[in-house]
Amino acid sequence: MDTMYYGDVLVVDLDAGKTEQVDFDELDEAGPGLPAGIALYNKYSDSDPLVLGSGLFTGTPVPGACLGFMIGKSPVTGELAVSPLSQFAGAEMKLSGFSAVVIKGAASKPVYLWLHDGVADIKDASSLRGLDTWQTTDTVRHDMGESLIQVISIGPAGEAATNLASYSINYWGSGDSAALGAVMGAKNLKAVALRGLGMLDAEEPADFYEQALELLGNATASRGFSGVCASLDADDIDEWLRPMIHRYRSCFACPSACATFVKYNEPASVMEPEGVEEPGMLVADAPAALWLKSGGWDAEPACRALEAMARAGVDLLRGARELSANPLDDPSAISAAVRELKGSEHAGWPSGEPLEYGLFGPWVPPLGSQDEWLAANRAGYVLGICPTLIMTGGIDTAALFQLCGSAAGLEMDSSSVDGMF
Amino acid sequence: MRVMVKPLECTGCSLCELACGYHWDEAFSIISSSIMLYRADEKKDYMGVIVKTEEDLFLGKPEGAEAVKLGELQQSAGAGGGGASAKPVLIREACDMCESAGLEPQCVAICPQNALYLE
Repeated sequence: MDTMYYGDVLVVDLDAGKTEQVDFDELDEAGPGLPAGIALYNKYSDSDPLVLGSGLFTGTPVPGACLGFMIGKSPVTGELAVSPLSQFAGAEMKLSGFSAVVIKGAASKPVYLWLHDGVADIKDASSLRGLDTWQTTDTVRHDMGESLIQVISIGPAGEAATNLASYSINYWGSGDSAALGAVMGAKNLKAVALRGLGMLDAEEPADFYEQALELLGNATASRGFSGVCASLDADDIDEWLRPMIHRYRSCFACPSACATFVKYNEPASVMEPEGVEEPGMLVADAPAALWLKSGGWDAEPACRALEAMARAGVDLLRGARELSANPLDDPSAISAAVRELKGSEHAGWPSGEPLEYGLFGPWVPPLGSQDEWLAANRAGYVLGICPTLIMTGGIDTAALFQLCGSAAGLEMDSSSVDGMF
Repeated sequence: MRVMVKPLECTGCSLCELACGYHWDEAFSIISSSIMLYRADEKKDYMGVIVKTEEDLFLGKPEGAEAVKLGELQQSAGAGGGGASAKPVLIREACDMCESAGLEPQCVAICPQNALYLE
């Protein structure tokens, strides 16, 4: 397959401080997206690797084509687990010049990985040690002179390799409930910085583009979490956040702008670039907010708690669940409570759905039966499409699979995807 | 007739950049389009859309839209195209309203939030 991916596989040996590029044979042998990533994990499993990758359509105008992934052995479950690279991180990963990245071994001192234009540098991160994820993102971007770099970093929780640690995508936390942030910490890997300046070709570009637009035209364009909350029969988070809502944000190529930027350090109505440097928080995933709301937290301190957890590099979902029973108001008390978090065994959604999360974890809400949820996760991580959008966004999955032909000359359907796992 | 921006309707999905990039290159990237998402001030959630034409740059800034001359972007909207590694605005193709492809402006057609329109 020489379309839809851009570059070889990068193998980073942190023990030796060296990188090499190898052919992406796993793409054809195992299938695109997550199956190829799992095959790479298995190939290098002796060195406890982390593998970063993306789906077949990631980085293209297919609706919801934002999704990349990190996989590794979860300290929480002791099993192989996948965590999402959402927002712009998956697309920038796809366009970085490497089709997948294997990070094996552990560095003797803190390092970060800088990927761009098919170039990989292992950079000294001694000066980043002890910084939270906001400080790390700011420092990497400042040092590189580039404000659009996607920074997948860990905070103090990850450096201590606690199993509550989660990597953060830029400032806003992530759906990593598998503690792959702790694996990064154990590797002395402070961050992976990405910039995607590449270009993706399709097998039949005109057909692919036309079919993608047709899917987009039929997809549901929405804002906020109301739709997801209604589908879960949960409280409406949007109404709770309303006085603080500044704007809604989409992940890459997604018609559903579910991420909600809230301002609590200046009025939400402020649109000018002047003003406070850190006005608030992007609430990018609903479940953590739902946990805090269900525990009786007011919206503003709840968002401050989400910020504190994102800064510390703590799993927002499990952290919020642990915090939920004791609502706080005072910012310093919130910060202290976040520092004292121990970690919850259960990381599910507050709606209490009896799902078995397994490989995929609880990032995607329980919007259907176990089989429907599993099918959406599998299709999403193979194709690079947000599984939540697949389940709620009016996406014709048969048409989605038909795109594989014009994209890469592949014939795929839900059965063939099931066969890849 | 030109592409106009309702900046507060934009949610920053980059689909307009992808559509424009495809128009010019028949491939998918986020670095060569005539329409550019400004997303450099992420922590402030300050986000807008820039459209390069033959005559000017249309800046769809959250606090209000304006057209400026091509050389005035640095003063008006920060780093061109939102980042030092992006293809500089001044050497990108100017918007041709997709006339060279015989299509309606693809950025307007693809925007799921109706943040772009023609006037």
